[in-house]
Amino acid sequence: MIRLENVTKSYSEEVIALRDASFDVAKGEFVFLVGPSGSGKSTLLRLINRQERPELGAVWVAGRNIVDMPSNRVPMLRRNIGNVFQDYKLLTNKTVFENVAFALEVIGRPKHVIGQQVPAVIELVGLAGKEDRFPHQLSGGEQQRVSIARAFVNRPLILVADEPTGNLDPATGEGIMRLLDRINGTGTTVVMATHDQRIVDSMRKRVIQLDRGVIVRDQARGVYQ
Amino acid sequence: MISRLSYIFRETGASMQRNVTLSVAAIITSAVSLLIFGLTLIIQHGFDNLLAQWEGGVEMIVYVNAGAGDEQRSVVEEALTQQVGITIDDWSYCDVDCSLADADRLFAGDPVTRGQLTAENIPTQYKVVPLDATQVDILRGLRDRYLELPNVYSVQLAEEQLDLIAKLQGFVSTYTTGLWIALMVAASLLIWNTIRTAMFARRREIEVMKLVGATDWFIRLPFMLEGLLQGVAGGVVASGAMWFINDRWTAGVESFPLNSGMTALVVVDGYQWQVALILVLFGAFIGTIGSGTAASRFLDV
Repeated sequence: MIRLENVTKSYSEEVIALRDASFDVAKGEFVFLVGPSGSGKSTLLRLINRQERPELGAVWVAGRNIVDMPSNRVPMLRRNIGNVFQDYKLLTNKTVFENVAFALEVIGRPKHVIGQQVPAVIELVGLAGKEDRFPHQLSGGEQQRVSIARAFVNRPLILVADEPTGNLDPATGEGIMRLLDRINGTGTTVVMATHDQRIVDSMRKRVIQLDRGVIVRDQARGVYQ
Repeated sequence: MISRLSYIFRETGASMQRNVTLSVAAIITSAVSLLIFGLTLIIQHGFDNLLAQWEGGVEMIVYVNAGAGDEQRSVVEEALTQQVGITIDDWSYCDVDCSLADADRLFAGDPVTRGQLTAENIPTQYKVVPLDATQVDILRGLRDRYLELPNVYSVQLAEEQLDLIAKLQGFVSTYTTGLWIALMVAASLLIWNTIRTAMFARRREIEVMKLVGATDWFIRLPFMLEGLLQGVAGGVVASGAMWFINDRWTAGVESFPLNSGMTALVVVDGYQWQVALILVLFGAFIGTIGSGTAASRFLDV
């Protein structure tokens, strides 16, 4: 599903975010990216959804090298990749329903499809009955669930999550991880960057560890360190 | 398709409401610049009316008494033909219909005088193109000679009224053109800035839209539509103001003295509609250019 071949990405001569990174992620796999701040985790996620392009190497997503993909094709690529962020990136002037529906609306899905898919995914993330609430009326965990619902509503092949539990207390974070695990169970590939040792150790999924842009460990059913 | 259109219109409306002060400022600026542009066109058209009878290098007009027949006019024609190749390059006869058409333009702002001119009492005209228009003394000599011919009502030389009008036209044209171009650029920049502000206010929304796979055009369209509407609104306001000013001017011109020449300096035909359409289209153009540039430039917020 995802393959990086000798990828190098730098932001300047001094700041090299990734050096010669290579790995494969199979369809339906759950992968943790771990490492200290500045190790290149977020850059790696941004390469997968073509927010960034590497200087060297190839990034394959769903069988296509996306490095030289024409920019008019990028929106189609992104419709197959859901994004979850540490700060949720919800639209404060829209309700739960509208935030989730927004992801379908802006890619031109008809109203009847939105009317079917949005309630279903809101129920999946455990927010049924809170469709009309605004983000400020929700807890942090609930806001992250809305963010996950928005990322998953289009049934993407891949879900990338950048420290989705970073702003949450441990118990709420566990709930979010159970949700991501459940989504992974539907066949969606999940790639998640995290600092949370407890979560990584408890889930025992594949772990790719980065240090100053270099992949230093790639371990199946791994732990944080 | 319908859901996309409804999204675009909804977002455009919401954005204009959020940016109401900037939107109003952009509309007013574009309206003022378009109004000056419209008035420039109207004034030019008024001057064209004023100078219409002197088109094609005509420097002298010999007016013949109303009702003068072919035989009576032949004396004048003979005198003109004698000078062809000597002082005159060419001459043409403007018959009753032609003279009435000239009167329509010359007395456009004075319907009372125009109403008194009929096919029976209007003097017809010989329009004379000299070999050398700079030889004013020769033209004056010809005028004096033609005035003595039978059935000649009057002889008018262009130099008597043309110089002043041509200078005035050049002056007004240069300065109003410069002014409307400067204001048009200002209006376009203001619309550009309005759209940039609107995009900055919605940067999080745009970021989400891009990440969930919205195309750049889908994101741009509501902003471009917003700029287009601001430009069109400016055009409509400018058209209304131009209409009002022209109407007041036309009403005022009636009280000017007949020999002031100002009675021709009005626009009462369908030209106003043409200018109104030009203003709305031009408003749409500057709005789209301003917003389209901003929407492309600031998409990576």
